[in-house]
Amino acid sequence: MVQLEVFLQTLVSGLLLGGLYALIGLGMTLIMGVMKIINLAHGELMMVAMYIAFWLFHLLGMDPYVTLLVTVPALFVLGVFIQKTLISPVLKVDSILPENQVILTVGIGMVLQNLATLFFTSDYRSTPVDYASDAWYLSDWWRSSPIELSFSVPWVVSFGFAVAITAALWWFLQRTDAGKAIRATAQDKDAAILMGVNVERMTVVTFGLGAALVGAAGSLFIPMYYLYPALGGRFTLIAFVITILGGLGSTQGAIIGGLILGVFESMTATYVGMGWAPVGRFLVFVACLIFLPGGVAGLMRRR
Amino acid sequence: MGKLVKVLGVAVVGTALVASPALAKTLKIGIPLPLTGSKAKFGEIERRSYEIAAEEINAAGGINGMQIELDIQDSQGKPEIARAIAEKLVDVAKQPFLIGAYSSSCSKAIAALAEERKVPYLVVTGAANDITQKGYEYVFRMNPSVEYYTSGFRGFLREVVKPKTIAILYEATDFGTSGSKSMVKEAKRLGIKVVLNEKYESGAVDFKPILSQVKAKRPDVIYMVSYVMDAALLMRQIKELRIDAKLFAGGAAGFAIPEFVENAKDAAEYVVTATLWSPFAPYRGAREFAEKYKKRAGKYPSYHGAEAYSALYVLKDALERAGSMDSEAIKKALAATDLVTAFGPVKFEAKGKYKNQNFMDTLVLQVINGKHEVIWPKKFATAKYVFPIPRWRDRRR
Repeated sequence: MVQLEVFLQTLVSGLLLGGLYALIGLGMTLIMGVMKIINLAHGELMMVAMYIAFWLFHLLGMDPYVTLLVTVPALFVLGVFIQKTLISPVLKVDSILPENQVILTVGIGMVLQNLATLFFTSDYRSTPVDYASDAWYLSDWWRSSPIELSFSVPWVVSFGFAVAITAALWWFLQRTDAGKAIRATAQDKDAAILMGVNVERMTVVTFGLGAALVGAAGSLFIPMYYLYPALGGRFTLIAFVITILGGLGSTQGAIIGGLILGVFESMTATYVGMGWAPVGRFLVFVACLIFLPGGVAGLMRRR
Repeated sequence: MGKLVKVLGVAVVGTALVASPALAKTLKIGIPLPLTGSKAKFGEIERRSYEIAAEEINAAGGINGMQIELDIQDSQGKPEIARAIAEKLVDVAKQPFLIGAYSSSCSKAIAALAEERKVPYLVVTGAANDITQKGYEYVFRMNPSVEYYTSGFRGFLREVVKPKTIAILYEATDFGTSGSKSMVKEAKRLGIKVVLNEKYESGAVDFKPILSQVKAKRPDVIYMVSYVMDAALLMRQIKELRIDAKLFAGGAAGFAIPEFVENAKDAAEYVVTATLWSPFAPYRGAREFAEKYKKRAGKYPSYHGAEAYSALYVLKDALERAGSMDSEAIKKALAATDLVTAFGPVKFEAKGKYKNQNFMDTLVLQVINGKHEVIWPKKFATAKYVFPIPRWRDRRR
């Protein structure tokens, strides 16, 4: 019974973590799908959003979840700005390096990180909210429960927001004209142009959207985590693994990929050892590349 | 290279302007410290602390009427350079005593030289056990050696908690690993069973998987070696999972600083931590020094700062009692030291293999009502310890 409790608690933690991972991965996947480039500044964009959330909390006393109203539009604008002024010109230039836009994103990431270090120092920051360590317990609802499970308040709330945002994105892509145009651009750029889609504008919107998604993830992460300038790399990596796992560019794939990664990491931590979690992450990555080149999306298509 | 960094206390300049003939005499104190290289951060902390002490002493009239002038020299943290600096101080500057150096390796190199030249040497921060275990006559160490770092916490475990089982969580770094190793050894000596000894990736988001394993093992004590942000996350998630151990203990500075309580909030309550020194230490002058330091550097000093700051007072005390600038007289005076400094009591004793070693009880802090209080050793306690601690379920929200 004790072992069952350990297993279920691990599963709960893994799913909650996975939901947030999925949101981080979604932004990168979206950009990957439409522009065919991996945005390696993804984690750094999240870091920027977290700093915005931190200062809003710190100076104005805004609840981290309320900062979503600011970070999401702010990051959308930042994404649009980066795409228009930096990535778009580079996309047009012929160069010896075929993937020079990807390298550009690495540079953008470095600049963002160093700017943050310069302005905010490398100190750790956090938004200590009162509900940070509150939790709901299974025994609160089910008095005679033989096992006890806890559901952390900020984790569950963040997870809820992540699901809602993902659903909204889904609706946007499936039901609106702009969403359909984005999907068309992702499927076949030339055909989309012929059909009268403004591909140029769609790529700009997509990059903004991707940045806005990871911006939301920043606001959702900060109540349960903390912040420092070098934090981006870690989340870029996670997003990258999820994008590969989900099958480059597939939104459903990214959601499932995020959940798989979250659960896998938690299970590794419980049953192998927590020091092994980063190793587990790469194991998933390499195994996916070798045995499942199309990712989760490829698997779904095959069926 | 030997970059010479001259540091003049503000007070020195001030009194020079007054030009009183009695105060014209200065006592130049050469101190090797790592001002560049990987240990520069600690060298910097110590430099600031020496300066604060020098200014205070000068403002109060100096040592035997002499104003102190600090001459801090960069050792780059390298033993051979530290030794060369010390050699020059003894041979060229004819300084009748030696003081300082940050790391154990540098302190060791200087200790060997001091013994050879029969010049008393005050070790300030070098903590390797064997520095004072070689039978040196002229080497005095005011900081506890590594094996005594957690002596206070051990005493608290032995006399109050009396646990049967312990779970250890530590960050996957050198620092975490050595912390866990010494705790495992300690547990064996006290007859405590280690039910779990697990490392984690520093900076992890979710500790709940590993913590649910800990919960299943039901240890009496959960001992964590962590930096401050991990420490806060660990305690928050322990609270979420309602893991009821008899005692939550932190093995390192991460738990002893105010930021820990700010971040963990009510989850930090009753957490116990071993520390050499903290700004909350109950010794006279500790708080004042910490505040003075904070005003200059923007944050509280680590224990290294308190050690450096107090070292200058130990030296002052010895020089004043010696009454002369003769090495033998200073050595005799140092040996008779019995002083309570801002860092703690200083008294050089021989015990076991040790010679001229200061044995002080290190402090145990507990977070009580959101504040770090000293709970052990009893004679320095600022509050009565809370043990057994209430279960999470019963705590007021």
